[in-house]
Amino acid sequence: MSATLERTPVVTTPGTGRPPRRRWTARRYFVGGILVLVCWAMLSPIIWTAMSVTKPTDVAFLNPPVFFYEPSLQAFVDLWETTQFYQYLINTLVVAVISTVVALVIGLPAAYALARMPGWISAVLLIAALVFRALPRFAVVLPMYDLSRALGVYDTTFAVAAALVAINQPFSIWLLRNFFAEIPKEIDEAAMVDGCSRWQTLVRVIIPLMGPGVLTAGIFMFLFAFQEYLTANILTDISARTVPVFIATQLGQTLPMLQQAGAAAMLLTLPVVAFAFVAQRYLVAGLNAGSVKG
Amino acid sequence: MIRSRVRTAGALALATVATLLLPACGAGSRTPQATAAQVPCEFPAPPQPVSVNVLAYNSSAVDPFTNTMVKSCTKNGLTVNHEPIDFAGQVQKTTATLAGPTGTYDILENYGFVVPTQAADGKIRPLDDLVAKYGAQYGLDQISPAMRKVMTYDGKLYALPMQAQMYVMAYRKDVFDQLGLKPPTTFAELRDVAGKIQAAGQIKYPIALPLLASSDIITAYDSALGSLGVDFVDAQTKQPNFDEPQAAQAFEELRSLLPFMDPQVATFDQPAVQQQMYNGSAAISIMFSGRMSDLTQAKNNRFAQQTAFAAPPSVAGGEALYNTLSVDGWSIPANTKADPELLFNLIAASVGPESSKAAVPAAYPAREGSVTADSSPYAAAALESIGKAPAAEPYPWTSRISNEIRPVVADVILGKTPIAEGQAKMQQLANGVLAQYP
Amino acid sequence: MRRREFLGFVTPSVLVMAGLLVLPLYQTIVWSLQRVNYGEAGEYVGFANYATALADPRFGQAVLFTVQLTVVVVIALIIFGYLLAVLVNSLGRSKPFVLGVLLVSYVVPHVVGGAMFSWLFNSNFGGVLNYAISSVLGTDILWFADAWPNRVMVALNTLWFMIPFAMLVILAGLQSVPEEILEAARIDGAPTWRVHWHVIIPSVRGVLGFVAIISIMDVLRTFDQLVALSPQAVQLGNESVMLYVFNVAFQDGGQQLGLGSAVNVLLIAIIAVMLYPFIRGIAREARHA
Repeated sequence: MSATLERTPVVTTPGTGRPPRRRWTARRYFVGGILVLVCWAMLSPIIWTAMSVTKPTDVAFLNPPVFFYEPSLQAFVDLWETTQFYQYLINTLVVAVISTVVALVIGLPAAYALARMPGWISAVLLIAALVFRALPRFAVVLPMYDLSRALGVYDTTFAVAAALVAINQPFSIWLLRNFFAEIPKEIDEAAMVDGCSRWQTLVRVIIPLMGPGVLTAGIFMFLFAFQEYLTANILTDISARTVPVFIATQLGQTLPMLQQAGAAAMLLTLPVVAFAFVAQRYLVAGLNAGSVKG
Repeated sequence: MIRSRVRTAGALALATVATLLLPACGAGSRTPQATAAQVPCEFPAPPQPVSVNVLAYNSSAVDPFTNTMVKSCTKNGLTVNHEPIDFAGQVQKTTATLAGPTGTYDILENYGFVVPTQAADGKIRPLDDLVAKYGAQYGLDQISPAMRKVMTYDGKLYALPMQAQMYVMAYRKDVFDQLGLKPPTTFAELRDVAGKIQAAGQIKYPIALPLLASSDIITAYDSALGSLGVDFVDAQTKQPNFDEPQAAQAFEELRSLLPFMDPQVATFDQPAVQQQMYNGSAAISIMFSGRMSDLTQAKNNRFAQQTAFAAPPSVAGGEALYNTLSVDGWSIPANTKADPELLFNLIAASVGPESSKAAVPAAYPAREGSVTADSSPYAAAALESIGKAPAAEPYPWTSRISNEIRPVVADVILGKTPIAEGQAKMQQLANGVLAQYP
Repeated sequence: MRRREFLGFVTPSVLVMAGLLVLPLYQTIVWSLQRVNYGEAGEYVGFANYATALADPRFGQAVLFTVQLTVVVVIALIIFGYLLAVLVNSLGRSKPFVLGVLLVSYVVPHVVGGAMFSWLFNSNFGGVLNYAISSVLGTDILWFADAWPNRVMVALNTLWFMIPFAMLVILAGLQSVPEEILEAARIDGAPTWRVHWHVIIPSVRGVLGFVAIISIMDVLRTFDQLVALSPQAVQLGNESVMLYVFNVAFQDGGQQLGLGSAVNVLLIAIIAVMLYPFIRGIAREARHA
């Protein structure tokens, strides 16, 4: 970690070897101060929502706002007991997990092949993937609405997960392909000389080598699926509703439901915040591995 | 370091698993359905287990009917599903479920404004045969004939009325008493009263109306026009009335309230207007009666005790008030796969005597005699209001014209389009819709 | 790698994308040439929907708004994302913690983040930021009813949930700037800003391009956050192209699926135009990789 500090120009006085200690500290306080401000600004919407949902209901959204109150978790209890929030949470997790796993299972071999086979087919596929990454959601989701009805899978977690696998496939291919490109081809050749087939090489040698890369791609897929609102809103009604859709439908409600919507937002946010703390290491490491040289 | 990470990850995983196992601890144990009234709901058990989906937005007035239906009729192998949704969501889901050969929902919460349009398109099922068959069993003759008429198109009933909603004015009695004011009965008085409250300095914007530009604003304009004695369309000649002087007057009258309303009023739906009252930001609000009961709850509203109710004012002193009579009822989509007889049992049970009684004071049930002046703090106001509402326009073009002209109405009320220009545009748009109904 | 192996590896992915992206896209194009309702057979109307869209001032305004938002937000993302990445990169042991905090807005669903943001600004719902600002200025800013304040709020929200990604990617890029180059610049005695401008930024150009390309795609498709932040979007001219599609094709009674689909196709064209320079570079790179 200290190596990082030294090689970063911001904290180094140009022209001198080791910076004088006092100057270094002043800069550090300055940088620290700015970052504290930035962090506080970034968290303010969440802090304020957390305050609103722990206030007594009659002053929850009072204007001018109330700053001092006796916090209560009643809104969370009410949300938990008076709605099917638990079910929505399960639906959201099922969609996120299924779509992540499937996206990786079909994305890994494709990305590997694209990284190992230069030429026009790869170029065309990659460009196509890039264009698909840019497609407006409605252009694919509205037809999917019709399609899922025709196939009888409308309003199922399966339909939402399938849609998200396809929608997120371009991004995962791009990301994974760049990870694979980082691994020298000689390793493949060595493995194949030892008698591995292509498939065995991929599964037994290459994927273990890029461990954190798979994790990075998985984290991205999971987050995208966990957050998705539009697709889930259009493809579900009753039996597969996800938390973002639930919260969106509650925003046009009055008290006490509105406060419960805030509570739902907090319950959805807190686990992903914990997740973010654990995942940040992999996200940086993964992106660092040359994945973004595009 | 590494071990601590592993431990963190382990603790996190454990916490996740624990959370997922938690439902044993009361998740969904107090759903409104679970605590609703139990009423008789009789039907022969279907041969196979059946699941019925109900689309109905949440509000304190609609909930009692929905919840009773879900609670009382989930039995004999029948499961009734209802998920919470707001009004905008209901409107959107209705369009989606009625389109095409199949839909998700088997029972729709519906309102008089859109029933004729859906009926004319064959999207919902006439109910007369079922009313004839089950009328006696559920006492359907007690459902108000006037409200049934609103749900009737081309001589057939397309929705079984559950309740009426009409505009009611809620005001802060303490503020009025302090300034020696009386509830206004005309828009002129309303401006006068609001001006005095404003001058007193406590409340900057005394009036709050639901004028959401993407939705409620058209109902407000319709109410103002109705109070001036004019319909959107002359039903005899099938000519739109937007070129009449009253069409301009309605705009002028609504615009005359702007100085007394929050500058962001065109972003207010009804829950936002309720919030204005909870916050004490406004002293007078006019909304559908179904939103009034929330204002009387001390749990939401610190001013619950100080809030009083009256019929809304008339725009220019005429007999009809600034008012819209909206009848809510249950419809059966034409594309449902479920047995209509079974579905009808459910909706009839939900408007039966017991559940109608249980819905008071939050709602104004369609069952006659459910509401008396002392049923609730706002019952007297509601009773007066319902008697002086402009007549509904039960035609298939009404809701379509409303959708078409709504952005123009919003632009005119917000001062972006001159009144005359807006009128011309509305007339043209309405003629375009009417041309499709030869 | 043999061709047969290659095909075996890419086929599942290609099939999924063909079935669930290309096929729906084809359907969208077909619908864009029809007058059609959900679940019903359409009636071919040629390019009438495109003509309607292009003649609709609302569509023009939606395009203008969306493109302006994209340009402003993407530039801000690159500048602030870079500055933030440099600051975070200089941290020691507190780095993981700061990164965790900064990532929070990235993981919150946009529609939820939009609602949380609206509660900061909405005077009707105790908006604390609005309260603080009006107390200082002595006048109320109409965040939801005035076009420009509303645009600022929407842009801030978009920046709020997109900057973590930009920061993260640029941070990764900064960490792979070769030490020798920095060392050489330092020995020259160049001031900090010159080291950044002449040395670091050129060597992370690819990364900045990647941030730009992803952000352009995402901001052009702005939809979720407007649901909560701009209830009066149509009147303010703050309707994004996607919101316009939603309003004409899915909102109350709006059954103009054909028009909505035509606008979708037009939006794809706009995205393609704005991404063209990047796509060309990538095409060259992909062929030679």
